[in-house]
Amino acid sequence: MPRNWYFTLGDLFSNALCGLLAALSCFYLFDTSWSMFIAMILAMLLGMAVAMLAALLFLMRFFGAMEIMLPTMVTGMVASMIVGMRATMAELSQMDACLYGMISGLAVTGFCWAANEHIQRQPGHD
Amino acid sequence: MTDNITTNPSDLANKQKWDRAAATFDFMAGEGAEKRWRPNKRKLFSRMGEGNILFMALGTGLDIECFPPNRSLQAIDISAEMMKYAKPRIAQYSGEIQTKVMDVHNMPFPENHFDQVFTSCTFCSVPRPAEGLKAILKVLKPGGELLMFEHTGSRYFPFNLMLNIMTPLTAKIGPDMNRPTVESVRRAGFEIIEVENIYLDVVKTIRAQKPLD
Repeated sequence: MPRNWYFTLGDLFSNALCGLLAALSCFYLFDTSWSMFIAMILAMLLGMAVAMLAALLFLMRFFGAMEIMLPTMVTGMVASMIVGMRATMAELSQMDACLYGMISGLAVTGFCWAANEHIQRQPGHD
Repeated sequence: MTDNITTNPSDLANKQKWDRAAATFDFMAGEGAEKRWRPNKRKLFSRMGEGNILFMALGTGLDIECFPPNRSLQAIDISAEMMKYAKPRIAQYSGEIQTKVMDVHNMPFPENHFDQVFTSCTFCSVPRPAEGLKAILKVLKPGGELLMFEHTGSRYFPFNLMLNIMTPLTAKIGPDMNRPTVESVRRAGFEIIEVENIYLDVVKTIRAQKPLD
């Protein structure tokens, strides 16, 4: 994790926000009439696109470039996959969709911090 | 500031892209990214010595703040518009920075001239990186150092997937995200001394050397 509170909170905020935006996009698009598989694929693409736009247009300026863009795109993919699939299974409330999105974002932040710590211990390569 | 403008279509397109980006570049990249990377850039640029030094792609001069004081160097960039924004930062620097609008593929410097060449987020944008790195190899003295702060592709899923998805979009407005820059440096004929990962295996510093013979 970043050795700076500003960036630590920035990472958490950015991913929670992108998770929320991706989840809401899927909440409004998918319902029980959709095939779960098709919804999953479309939701992942939609979530990544939403997160990438949010990162490029707003979050990157304040919190960093690759350190924001990569985790938020993973967040967008994961959050929207979960919400998209869940929305095809049964009725989903907006609040639940938001919670799924934000929790996904926080989980992905932790995953990226752990992945970063792990990779820092490896010898450099390409 | 003198001009050495390319006529290659891909280089011209690259120049136009960065000319367009100049007005908003500091707004987009001057805060978060620079604050994150500043300590690592300072560490890399602290290796800047007293000999002939070339800084590639100075851009709007955001990196100047990370230079050690009182150095004398030449700096180039393909975009005259970007360089305009660098002027106040150059004026504030305690050393001397001579700027030229120049394309890395077409550098008129003598062979074996520079002791050190520095890059900072440069080879994500150079249209033909293999040729660009060979051009640097040519102007470096034998034993001269190439010191790079770059972002590259990743070998780890899901980051490699994300970088590959992003690149078609980001390449239109700025850099490629998935370049194998360390491998390109090696293939150009440099000896890699050290690669230090800064964020994942994506943001990194690379120290390489032109072989002595």
